[in-house]
Amino acid sequence: MIDMIAKEDPIISEEEAAQYDRQIRLWGLDAQKRLRGSRVLLVGLGGLGAEVAKNLILAGVKGLTMLDHEKVSQESCRAQFLVPVTAQGENRAQASLERAQYLNPMVEVRAQAERAEDQPDDFFLQFDAVCLTCCSRDLMVRVDQLCSKHNIKVFCGNVYGYYGYMFSDLGPEYNYVEEKPKMVKPSGDTNDGPKAKKAKVDPNETTMVKKTASFCSLKEALEVDWTTEKAKAGLKRTPVDYFLLHVLLKFRTDKGRDPAPQSSGEDARLLRQIRDDVLESMGLNRELLSDDFVSYCFSEMAPVCAVVGGVLGQEVVKALSQRDAPHKNIFFFDGRKGNGVVDYFGPQ
Amino acid sequence: MVQLVGSLRKEVAESLSTCRVLVVGAGGIGCELLKNLVLTGFKNIEVIDLDIIDVSNLNRQFLFQKKHVGKSKAQVAKESVLQFCPTANITAYHDSIMNPDYNVEFFRNFMLVMNALDNRAARNHVNRMCLAADIPLIESGTAGYLGQVTVIKKGLTECYECQPKPTQKTFPGCTIRNTPSEPIHCIVWAKYLFNQLFGEEDADQEVSPDTADPEASWNPAETEARAMASETDGDIKRVSTKEWARSTGYDPAKLFNKLFKDDIMYLLTMDKLWKKRKAPLPLDWHQLESQGSRRPQGEVKAVGLKDQQVLGVWGYCQLFQHSIETLRSELQEKGDGAELVWDKDDAPALDFVTAAANLRMHIFSMTMKSRFDIKSMAGNIIPAIATTNAIIAGLIVMEGLKVVSGELESCRTIFLNKHPNLRKKLLVPCILDPPCANCYVCASRPEVTVKLNVLKTTVLALQDRILKERFGMVAPDVNIEDGKGTILISSEEGETDANNGKFLSDFGIRNGSRLQSDDFLQDYTLLINVLHAEDLEKDVEFEVVGDAPDKAPPPPSNQEDASSIANGNKDSAQPLRPRPIMDPSGDWTDWFGTGGCDARYCNS
Repeated sequence: MIDMIAKEDPIISEEEAAQYDRQIRLWGLDAQKRLRGSRVLLVGLGGLGAEVAKNLILAGVKGLTMLDHEKVSQESCRAQFLVPVTAQGENRAQASLERAQYLNPMVEVRAQAERAEDQPDDFFLQFDAVCLTCCSRDLMVRVDQLCSKHNIKVFCGNVYGYYGYMFSDLGPEYNYVEEKPKMVKPSGDTNDGPKAKKAKVDPNETTMVKKTASFCSLKEALEVDWTTEKAKAGLKRTPVDYFLLHVLLKFRTDKGRDPAPQSSGEDARLLRQIRDDVLESMGLNRELLSDDFVSYCFSEMAPVCAVVGGVLGQEVVKALSQRDAPHKNIFFFDGRKGNGVVDYFGPQ
Repeated sequence: MVQLVGSLRKEVAESLSTCRVLVVGAGGIGCELLKNLVLTGFKNIEVIDLDIIDVSNLNRQFLFQKKHVGKSKAQVAKESVLQFCPTANITAYHDSIMNPDYNVEFFRNFMLVMNALDNRAARNHVNRMCLAADIPLIESGTAGYLGQVTVIKKGLTECYECQPKPTQKTFPGCTIRNTPSEPIHCIVWAKYLFNQLFGEEDADQEVSPDTADPEASWNPAETEARAMASETDGDIKRVSTKEWARSTGYDPAKLFNKLFKDDIMYLLTMDKLWKKRKAPLPLDWHQLESQGSRRPQGEVKAVGLKDQQVLGVWGYCQLFQHSIETLRSELQEKGDGAELVWDKDDAPALDFVTAAANLRMHIFSMTMKSRFDIKSMAGNIIPAIATTNAIIAGLIVMEGLKVVSGELESCRTIFLNKHPNLRKKLLVPCILDPPCANCYVCASRPEVTVKLNVLKTTVLALQDRILKERFGMVAPDVNIEDGKGTILISSEEGETDANNGKFLSDFGIRNGSRLQSDDFLQDYTLLINVLHAEDLEKDVEFEVVGDAPDKAPPPPSNQEDASSIANGNKDSAQPLRPRPIMDPSGDWTDWFGTGGCDARYCNS
């Protein structure tokens, strides 16, 4: 649980200064110290999870716990780069541990071969941020509700073929800072003789401005009522990915997994059916989401994991360091179009 | 339902496993890119990088670990990738892509080339090689939180050099030598000083007061008189700085007093300079020494990085002394005629520049800076993180898939913003522009007009400054279109050395002359029209006619986004095409021609 107080242990070692030099020059020493004091839970070590793990470990968090109950399959070897090819049949989190640790020995990396569903509430409370991938809607809603109450930052994300999303809940009152250039006072005439030539504004003269943002829960974000006049009016500017996400979450709820290439024919039929059901239940036209998506949401595409994992990783870094405006509150990536949008869903 | 291999259609997956691709660079973008390529199913990959691994790479170049520091990036990247994908067929080259071994035939082996570079010279070169070989090129760059990807295909899209890019920022000699007003002027001066004392002496890197400064004189005759006087006045210019330093045994106190006392006092005699500027205040070594030793050394609180602290004047005097003593020994160890090369990661070299720059800043009433900040500016460091590179490398492969599937028309330029724009976009895809008709690289018969003084421009300057630096040639051959085809420059080593010191006018080149310049490796011919001028600004050797002066190119009209995801979006306002801004951190462009990142990015 972080507040705006600086972390203990102000000393940054020479090793850290050398290794983190290029990022300290970007986000500053204070941010790096906060990262260094943060513990993160990452659920799910598929393609997206591996990317997030890499990004957070490289950033220099205090600890990363990787939790996954799934086993390494043939697909896993194609999807992620932490798991050795010889690890088939092993637990995914445990198989990823060694390579993950090598990324940065200064981070405490741990692996837990367990289901997130089976963890007691207490388990989640030991972290500063929780990142959920490969999770069902119900699990994510439950964990989000629990963590948000305790000021723990929650992130959710997943990749489905060419598509991916990430969601954040930083709580109803999230405080952060933004670095802005200092305003230059106009120089007045000096008393003594020749007027001094004004030196240009030093680009390093900046000031930290405090800001606050408010986030809603995942439940609220997903349960937007599209039957109101206001919602209908905003529909035109709403990324259609939002509805695609509902379809894919429903698929997982029903089948206990994401669409898989091995059963692509059957899954495609189911996806179209779910699309019809979901849109109808929202009071919307089924043409809102054309059939097209069905061929493109299978398996995890590595480059899509890289993009979504990069955005998600950076949001976690920002939130832990409490610096720079967070994306509010869902990011959608469409790999077919190269489009990446951020939009807010939930009560105003 | 189509047959899938993972997320991809079967035919695409098959072409991936057979095609050959080239990755140029194994650094921040390169590591991420290699990982994405093998995981996506690309099997035959060649990667080239001339660099070795440094500890500062480890925050993002994740294929490298601490134990690899000092080793070849390309080699270690290959080994690390094979760890998680042993069936990948990777060839690694620890070499420069500008090596003539990598000729057009070499490039033709590939279905796709992807750049993961950090400097313009190499980008220009690869651009030309891909045009010559007619191979699609995916170009990209990152700086901090920003990044960009684009696709270049001969005849279909703009090439990398179609849009003029602002040339690197340089400062006039008199600003550096006489009237610095910003910290960067003092840092440039300190780097020049390093070269004059310890490195390769360069006539364009003078540190002594510039007596020929037009601002200093009340009339032209006075300028001349000053210039003449300095020739005979031993104090200022008679012997080279290095010789003089050697004659004093590189005595720090003597060097200090010359640079920070005597030379400053000389500047003060040029009183016109100080009519409207705050005059510099000379320092005296012995005075500072006695003051410094009397003042108690305060407790240095290590709250931040040690490097981020700003010392007092005496602190920098001591740093000046210690660094000189170290550098002096290094020179001695290397023997006669030895030269040191400045490197931001070489501690005494950076110490020296930090000390010298700060002392000069203090003299000119500027707030002194920490070693950390000076390292950024002197070393042209671009801050970099893993996530930006991961995102951009992901986008590169997405574009690559389109290329390999033969879907070039769906390729896009994609900009990564720090925050979503007004249309909620964090990633902004833009349709690719067609080639510029008068591009001096990819047009069918490229031609350009260069304004210069034929009486004062040497053949060597034409070769190095104009053809190589400005027009990106690596090994130019030049002949004059004078009916005789007179050879001016030959790329064969030594053949035309005798011409180097001569002026263009010595060869009959005058206003309206045409020079045919070839780079055979790049398969590139450029016709240069000479426009003779005697009224160029001070310190300006030449101008390319038609170049917009030092600003970003205007946004082309008629740009549309790829059709937006938002359902039924019929926004009438088309977004302006984001302007590529060459200056990642706002100020720190590549002053010293020593590489450094020059990512195009945009904050639309």
